[in-house]
Amino acid sequence: MEFFQPQNLTEAVERSGLDTCFLAGGTDLVLQLREGKAKPQVLVDLSRVTELKYLTAAGGCLEIGSMLTFAELGGSELARAKANALWLACQSMGSPQIRNQATLGGNLANCSPAADGLPPLLALGALVRLVSRRGEETVPLAELLSRRPLLEVGTLIRGFRIPDQGWKSGFAKLGRRRALAIARLSVALAVEREGNQAKRVRVALGAVGERPFLSEALAEMLQGREMNEAWLEDAAAAAQQVVASALGSRASAPYKRVAVSGVMREAWASLAGGEGTACG
Amino acid sequence: MVELELTVNGKACMLKIEPGERLIDVLRQRLGLTGTKEGCGEGECGACTVIMDGRTINSCVVLAIQAHGRDITTIEGVGNRIRPHPVQRAFVEEGAVQCGYCTPGMVLAAKALLDKNPDPSPQEIGAAMSGNLCRCTGYDKILRAVQRAAREVTGT
Ligand SMILES: Cc1cc2nc3c(=O)[nH]c(=O)nc-3n(C[C@H](O)[C@H](O)[C@H](O)COP(=O)(O)OP(=O)(O)OC[C@H]3O[C@@H](n4cnc5c(N)ncnc54)[C@H](O)[C@@H]3O)c2cc1C
Ligand code: FES
Ligand code: FES
Repeated sequence: MEFFQPQNLTEAVERSGLDTCFLAGGTDLVLQLREGKAKPQVLVDLSRVTELKYLTAAGGCLEIGSMLTFAELGGSELARAKANALWLACQSMGSPQIRNQATLGGNLANCSPAADGLPPLLALGALVRLVSRRGEETVPLAELLSRRPLLEVGTLIRGFRIPDQGWKSGFAKLGRRRALAIARLSVALAVEREGNQAKRVRVALGAVGERPFLSEALAEMLQGREMNEAWLEDAAAAAQQVVASALGSRASAPYKRVAVSGVMREAWASLAGGEGTACG
Repeated sequence: MVELELTVNGKACMLKIEPGERLIDVLRQRLGLTGTKEGCGEGECGACTVIMDGRTINSCVVLAIQAHGRDITTIEGVGNRIRPHPVQRAFVEEGAVQCGYCTPGMVLAAKALLDKNPDPSPQEIGAAMSGNLCRCTGYDKILRAVQRAAREVTGT
């Protein structure tokens, strides 16, 4: 295996192809290399590509470079203010050591069912910026997650764009260690409020099925209503339905179906700015 | 083979390695720094914790080449029998060491915390140590040792 360390984005994209693999933090890839699940001829190390390391609020959006680590995002007041759900996910992901190394770009590219960064990004309506030799593309994350494979050969995740619509967002998860993989479950929630009305709502679930997803059904039933105890009851109950139909007869289904109600309530309680207290 | 240049415990090192070699293997086998332990080998237990540019990482899920140009501290760079670091002394005094396998990683996690935050709350200590598993002590003594080291560092 060869090692290539591009100094900028163009070099990184030019050198990538069928026989190469990008290296970000390595927290997924190093194990995959050892287990022989990844066998690239060339490792393309992204650590020196400064164009992938940014965090700014510009043009009504929060812009996040793919090489930002969970620790960097979790330590950012800007991320907390503009993307609370994502910021919360960064506090509980992995362990301190893993957060110091793992990147948000790697989290998406690896795309595990339990990838903690993805439900918050979905709920926040994030767009993903991709680059390849064919050019640049900006796609909604929800759309990208419906593609198989997720990324075409030689495609680099440049970053994420979160429209700053002033929505409140929250996140909660169950199960931390990989040894408890079956007990993993996460909920991210974003709400556009008008007074006590939930004008628009997005709910994303993680570790329920093959990839994290946005639940249209939950969003539809929760938006345009007053947020009160009945709203939260309905959210918790409807989440059970969504989990039941997504998991079918899988072994973890009965457990997760029950657990999701609690995780939904926690996600609600974590909505930025103490908004969650409206429901007691 | 690729050239790897890094600073380990304050000393500049230059060596030739395979790109696929993990940092833990280079530290233990090529540099003879066997104080860094391998437990799970999967990033879960923290036994292999080292400090890279001031932040803790698990050296079993990082390639050595990722440490190129960086500054690494292993347990050998923290202190020794004659001159123990306050964290090491506190671990001994609180009885926070049983089999000792997790101890190097624990000490480095605690040192990294105290270097940034000399006066951490019990919650902050718990959070900073949450990536390090111990099968022997039940953690109480370890958390007490870190508190004791913090008192010593701040002189309170
Ligand atoms: C002990 C342990 C605990 C963990 N806990 C969690 C957890 O709680 N939650 C969670 O979500 N994950 C967890 N993970 C998984 C992992 O840490 C994350 O998925 C992480 O975000 C991966 O990022 P990385 O930078 O380390 O990626 P890498 O390992 O460097 O890369 C992963 C994959 O993504 C590709 N890639 C990386 N960057 C890009 C890019 N910019 N463009 C295109 N492709 C790219 C690589 O080629 C590779 O295929 C854990 C891992 C370990 C070892
Ligand atoms: S040996 Fe590296 S984390 Fe367990
Ligand atoms: S002292 Fe034995 S594992 Fe911690």
